[in-house]
Amino acid sequence: MMWDNFIWFSAASMLLWILGVASLYMNKKSSLTGNILISAGLVIFLIFILLLWGDLKHPPLRTMGETRLWYSFFITLVGFVTWLRWRYKWLAGYSVLVSGVFIMVNLLKPEIHFTNLMPALQSIWFVPHVTVYILSYAMFGAATIASFIAIRELKDKSERLMPLIDNLIYIGLGFLMTGMLLGAIWAKEAWGDYWTWDPKEVWAFITAAVYLLYIHARTQKYPLRIILWILPLAFVMLMITWLGVNYLPAAQGSIHVY
Amino acid sequence: MVGKGKREQKIAIEAVIVAAITVAGLALQVITGGFNREILAFPANLILITAIPVLLILFKGALKHLASGSLSIILISTVTIIALYMGLVPGNSAKSSWPFALIYLALLINLTASVIIRIRTFKFRKDISFMLNHIGLLILLFSAGPGSADKARYFMRVFEGKVEWRAEKSGGKERAEAVELPVAISLEDFEMDEYPPKLAIIERNTGIALPEKRPIYFEAILNAVSTIERWNLVIDSVLYKPGFAPAAFVRVTDKYSGEATEGWVSCGNYFQHFKTLSLDSTYCVAMTFPEPKEYRSIVEVYTQSGKVKNGVVRVNHPMTIGGWKIYQHSYDSARGRDSVWSLFELVYDPWIIPAYIGMIMMIFGAITLFWKGGKS
Repeated sequence: MMWDNFIWFSAASMLLWILGVASLYMNKKSSLTGNILISAGLVIFLIFILLLWGDLKHPPLRTMGETRLWYSFFITLVGFVTWLRWRYKWLAGYSVLVSGVFIMVNLLKPEIHFTNLMPALQSIWFVPHVTVYILSYAMFGAATIASFIAIRELKDKSERLMPLIDNLIYIGLGFLMTGMLLGAIWAKEAWGDYWTWDPKEVWAFITAAVYLLYIHARTQKYPLRIILWILPLAFVMLMITWLGVNYLPAAQGSIHVY
Repeated sequence: MVGKGKREQKIAIEAVIVAAITVAGLALQVITGGFNREILAFPANLILITAIPVLLILFKGALKHLASGSLSIILISTVTIIALYMGLVPGNSAKSSWPFALIYLALLINLTASVIIRIRTFKFRKDISFMLNHIGLLILLFSAGPGSADKARYFMRVFEGKVEWRAEKSGGKERAEAVELPVAISLEDFEMDEYPPKLAIIERNTGIALPEKRPIYFEAILNAVSTIERWNLVIDSVLYKPGFAPAAFVRVTDKYSGEATEGWVSCGNYFQHFKTLSLDSTYCVAMTFPEPKEYRSIVEVYTQSGKVKNGVVRVNHPMTIGGWKIYQHSYDSARGRDSVWSLFELVYDPWIIPAYIGMIMMIFGAITLFWKGGKS
């Protein structure tokens, strides 16, 4: 059983990723060592997925455990690419951390036999749909923290954080829109329509709309003391979309409640 | 200061107009009881989609005002408020209400106008991100809004070895009458793969599986072994013939006393009773129902225009023929893999290609957002 080897492959990848991120933080002059270590970890993890694929004779997408495998891989990969493009070390660290959580869950509670995915979830769109959402949450979470600091700094007429916040929002919205559109394409294949105003869709729409408001208000150069408050508000909407929808009375019968 | 006051005045006027549109929508809602999207059915939607850009180009004076960025902000806010109502009030019908339809229309006009203005000074590097996101969204909103009036969804139940062309409209509340579709499906076979059923030791009265905190369920496959609390279990034989319930011959040995019990265990099905194996007065071995792994229908599909297509329809893998997509919806769940019929959902959406084009443009737009960040 290929799964029995998971602990060795994942331990090797995790070790390389942690060393890689540590190296990015310690070695201020060059990020080459860090980049090589993280890439090596990604290669090892991918090799495991491909070996498992060969072993199972079908893409590992049928159980919860197999799905988590892809999350671990893609979150680190996209976090790493974002680091290469935008030099956010914390995001590389964050994605390794989230990836590690999924790996730990897979080691402690594998669910490779017991929780079979319902057929509708056995789709190639499932993993990218969830992965990019997790990354958009990270960007928006960081932007929300930055917005609180920026609100405090407004008293001193400082706008030093605005380029950072704008950047995080644009990147986060890029991820969010990708996640939503991949979900729409998948929904057309699985449920017959790309948008049905399912409760989770309604809240995802609200979240995206509020971030769009931020972006448009910025291009219109509205006063920062108003604009900056949009971000905490948007983050509340994001949290409702992610965690709260299942508890809302309007959400009974949503296809997103599993 | 004068400029600033002027801007505030403009925003105020726009807000009043949008509020007026919303109130007009509410009034129409009260009078007509709801927005019937069928009034937008072809060719009305096509006329609307052509008329908006043509009128905007003809009436240049209005173009600048309708493309206003502050108007966009007011409209996005209004749509968000309507969506909040959708998300918070159970059982509402906001998505087919007049206020929503009118604000949606206003958004389409605002979006078209801003694209027209921007396109006249198009510079690839500067404007590509804007164009992908806004034109993509515009095409998607046209297809998903006015275009959706041409969409139709039906349920069709087909028995194995039979041909069917009658279907019921889906999505309606009450049972609709069967209509004849231009598509017919012949179901050659309905097949299902299942995960093996699982065995567990349960408390006879409560049905709680052992060990109580972390119950063990193990797959009923030939020669499988398991140890649950003080019992060793071995599966000597498995029977699962078409039409019959799965059954496993289990040998159970008490680890301490060495006492052995054996017998058939089955979860039963729509005509066979389930069967458990007693271990003592409290516990017995029982089997769970097998879970579906994948199910599919082997079909031949015909259209009125004479097209014929053979293939397999399964979840996540619909079949496309003409403007139709045929989805595997469900089966006779009481009979599971022995179901003699398959339920298909048939969706007709002639606007799906433009909708996909819009979505793909927006995905590329999203990549430009990621790549360019906030430094535009």
